[in-house]
Amino acid sequence: MTQVVAEIDPVVGRPALVEGRPGFHGITEAVARPVEWKPPLGWYIVLAVSLSMLGLFGVSIAWLLWEGVGIWGNNQPVGWGWPIVNFVFWVGIGHAGTLISAVLFLFRQRWRTSINRAAEAMTLFAVACALTFPGIHTGRPWLDYWMMPVPNQMAMWPQFRSPLMWDVFAVSIYGLVSLLFWYVGLIPDLATMRDRATTRVRQVAYGIFALGWRGSMRHWLHYEKAYLLLAGLATPLVLSVHSVVSFDFAVSQIPGWHTTIFPPYFVAGAIFSGMAMVITLMVIGRVAFGLKHLITLLHFDRMAKLILLTGTLVGYAYGVEFFVAWYSGNPFERYAFLNRAFGPYAWAYWIMVSCNVLSPQVFWFQRARTSIPVLFVVSILVNIGMWFERFVIVVTSLHRDFLPSSWGYFRPTFWDIATFLGSFGLFFTLFTLFVRFLPMVSMSELKGVLPEAHAHGLPPDATPDKPLHEPAVGTGLASHPPQPEVS
Amino acid sequence: MTPASPAVDAVALDAALIQRVTLPERHPLRRGALLAAAVGALAVLALAVLGEPRRMLAAYLTAYVYWLTIALGGLFFVLVMFATRAGWSVTVRRLAEHVAGTLVLFAALFLPLALGADTLFGWWHGADAAADPVLHGKAGYLDPEFFFLRATAYLLAWSLLAFWFRSRSLAQDSSGDPATTRRLQALSAPALIVFGISLTFASFDWIMSLDPHWYSTIFGVYVFSGAVVAILAVLTLGCIALGAGRDPRGERPGPLAGVVTTEHLHDVAKLLFAFVVFWAYIGFSQFMLIWYGNLPEETIWYAHRLEHGWRGVTIALAVGHFVLPFFFLLPRAVKRTRSTLVAASVWLLAMHYLDLYWLVMPAVERHGFHPHLADLVAWLGVGGLFLGTLGLLTARQPLVPVGDPRLAESMAFENT
Amino acid sequence: MRLPWQSKAAAARPAAEGPWLLAEFTTPDAVLAAADAVRRTGTTRWDVHSPFPVHGLERAMGLKASLVPWFVLILGLAGAAAGMGLQWWASTIAYPLVVSGKPMFSWPAFVPIMFECGVLGGALGAVGGLLFEARLPRHHHPLFASKRFERMSDDRFFVSVDTADPNAGEAEGLLRRAGAVHVERLATEAPAPEGRA
Repeated sequence: MTQVVAEIDPVVGRPALVEGRPGFHGITEAVARPVEWKPPLGWYIVLAVSLSMLGLFGVSIAWLLWEGVGIWGNNQPVGWGWPIVNFVFWVGIGHAGTLISAVLFLFRQRWRTSINRAAEAMTLFAVACALTFPGIHTGRPWLDYWMMPVPNQMAMWPQFRSPLMWDVFAVSIYGLVSLLFWYVGLIPDLATMRDRATTRVRQVAYGIFALGWRGSMRHWLHYEKAYLLLAGLATPLVLSVHSVVSFDFAVSQIPGWHTTIFPPYFVAGAIFSGMAMVITLMVIGRVAFGLKHLITLLHFDRMAKLILLTGTLVGYAYGVEFFVAWYSGNPFERYAFLNRAFGPYAWAYWIMVSCNVLSPQVFWFQRARTSIPVLFVVSILVNIGMWFERFVIVVTSLHRDFLPSSWGYFRPTFWDIATFLGSFGLFFTLFTLFVRFLPMVSMSELKGVLPEAHAHGLPPDATPDKPLHEPAVGTGLASHPPQPEVS
Repeated sequence: MTPASPAVDAVALDAALIQRVTLPERHPLRRGALLAAAVGALAVLALAVLGEPRRMLAAYLTAYVYWLTIALGGLFFVLVMFATRAGWSVTVRRLAEHVAGTLVLFAALFLPLALGADTLFGWWHGADAAADPVLHGKAGYLDPEFFFLRATAYLLAWSLLAFWFRSRSLAQDSSGDPATTRRLQALSAPALIVFGISLTFASFDWIMSLDPHWYSTIFGVYVFSGAVVAILAVLTLGCIALGAGRDPRGERPGPLAGVVTTEHLHDVAKLLFAFVVFWAYIGFSQFMLIWYGNLPEETIWYAHRLEHGWRGVTIALAVGHFVLPFFFLLPRAVKRTRSTLVAASVWLLAMHYLDLYWLVMPAVERHGFHPHLADLVAWLGVGGLFLGTLGLLTARQPLVPVGDPRLAESMAFENT
Repeated sequence: MRLPWQSKAAAARPAAEGPWLLAEFTTPDAVLAAADAVRRTGTTRWDVHSPFPVHGLERAMGLKASLVPWFVLILGLAGAAAGMGLQWWASTIAYPLVVSGKPMFSWPAFVPIMFECGVLGGALGAVGGLLFEARLPRHHHPLFASKRFERMSDDRFFVSVDTADPNAGEAEGLLRRAGAVHVERLATEAPAPEGRA
């Protein structure tokens, strides 16, 4: 048995989540230092590149507002082009943060502790990018208030039977709840930054947002309950949001869109793409900020397994869709799927299948799950594949619908590409600022999973009403003390 | 490889524990199991003379799929606990292994369905199918020989997986070898893929094709979600019947007292709650998308279930399988109290039957909701055989995997 | 004056705070033992401060279960009801319009927004309940006058006792015996040269 296997695959006992023995103070130092030191030159370079892409985003949007949606490749019959593809792409990426934070929290996957903060931040920034596209895709963002249920001069109300309205509610509420979840998690760490502050400005800035946190056990009690409940709320929320996005397509009658598996299939795909983005960012971040001992190969091994799981679920959905399209006996359904695989956009379909279904299969092997280059390449491939999945769904289903006389072909324009690349500028600018100004690993949670964080309790007579530990159970069991809870 | 820590040795050799969690030869549960098997066999035979063949077959199919989904749920539970390397669930897992072990029985019980398939499935008749252009188009799949081939493949795959996981786990009881756990963990992931594909297509073949024109891509996931609800309810009931959550020093504590604790029951109940919600999510997604799209070839399936007497059944299902258990299972105390857990589990198992009845029966009973004595007889029949087999499998085997290296971790488990 | 959310006991307490006694510990075990000892004195105005929640402390301190779940439940149900109510009212009364042949009150189409609004209500309830129950934000607190208290958010554990409470008389000796590495007495309203944001 190789050393790597022994490290991360013990059946007996649990692996340590943090390498070495940093201690409470060591964690504070490791996480707080990148926030307090003058950032390295590389950080400024990344920021400059991100800002210039953000500038491209601004120019693209300005040109859109000046000239109108004609600058894009959208046509008849492909009325939904890249803006919707990009919207779904970014919302999907925005799902891994909540998955890691909430779902893995509920499943007691404590390895999440090292990565949840950054993943939640990524969620927020991805949702910010996602919300931009529906905001601008009509070319008239000043009319966006039509989607808000507010009394207005037209005496009209939104049309709540439209899934696009569901989107407005689902994505904006998702953004808000993710922000709350992220912020609640940040409060104790903001207090740490406040207490370590060396300048008045930092002390005031972190102090305001730390809300006067003083680590009171009376507060922790409510805090832990609130965090658990937020996780419990965020879990169905994350499922519902991408289900609602899938409803945008699935409530229609377009072959290739109208299929009942869309909601769980979109959710699996969203988590898949988001997890890939987390891997991409973490591979870079842990090296750049010296957090290799906190974000270890163990974490990548676990994330790669989730990639494999969700990638396989996505593959299941592709397969079932294809089979049922044939099984339905409906000629339009059958044609839509044959056209996907062998029509003018077959190249996009096969990029999608090979990136999303085939490439993650390397993660059956532990060697691949713990190899940083393989992880990086596959995570990029998955991101590409998931963008193409949305492209395939949107464009190939629309370009040939029921009437051959209205068939067409969609080609992106320069401005389609510029807007999409520009949205990465927004994402990376926000993320770069985040890693500079906020602790990218949750210190308070990470301290809580260290072995020395566990009080061993008082003798059984310590409290009159209830002993702190149940006495060992009856026959034959008393001789086995519980294993020390390492993880 | 050798056990890696002294704790493993100690657990594997703990004779007192093994004796305590093994049912004695003359335990009333085992005599009851034999009785159930005898009653079950008679009841299944009685179906043959009870009424019109198609209706009898539909009743049998409902009962068969009901108990089958419980057994498949058991297989899923075992596979997923190995795949996720769960520590908390080790003490509960053996019961699921035994439940999954009954899958061999379902291979045998498929015989009546195989004999009656041409009566039960409308697409079977070549002449009708040929006249119907839609059915003609899918004749390559809805074909008797291919149907039998697939059924054989599913049943073989399930039986083998269940047998292998159960027998390896039983072998570990005496060896205490951690390598067994490692091998089963490695096998569980590919096994889950086999499980997912076979369950999907089995649900297409045996339930969805009762309405051969109708199709829904989410159908396999729907059947799966119900199966998981059912197994979690069965595990809760089984553990509580065997003493889970009781004080091991109390009077007649039961073999699992102090081994499966309130903490384990709480965790199973949390999963039960989650899957009740998941079932509703899948069921609502399917309904809403078909309702919204309003395509006649799809809505007909719901039309059958929303007219005549079936409308009330549909509403009862939505309320009884989701709304009531959702609010009932919400408080923490309910998930940690044996009496409320028993009530919720029994209720959900009843609702699971209603769910499958609602899936199967409207294809046969087009003119309304007409329960038949045969429904009860079939349920008792397959159920009796299932429980009898379960009793045989449970006999003389420890009720928890005493050789599992994570047993100590599991027994000490506490919810935080 | 008793505020609506204050219990009678809380209102009856002396209005003056402090001076506070602040004892520093280095391990979770030590602070757990100290907390257990302080609880037995019967004082009510005391607290434990730690960089992360130490499990077992809530029992050692004799804290009651949090009421935050009730905030979540009530606001969650209210949010869902408001979401469905808004859609019902807008679609049937304020602006009735037939769309794709569906009824005015198309409940299946209204479920997604109802659900989202319920989650929003629940999440606001969780955060609002947390802030309310913990009486945060409170940017100024006498404990912040202590320079050593800054390690509360790093690696040290503290017990604070309000000596205005008559039951707290024995606390100082108690805390020293429990293994405090440092005990200090803070002025009621420290001039706080560093100030606290």
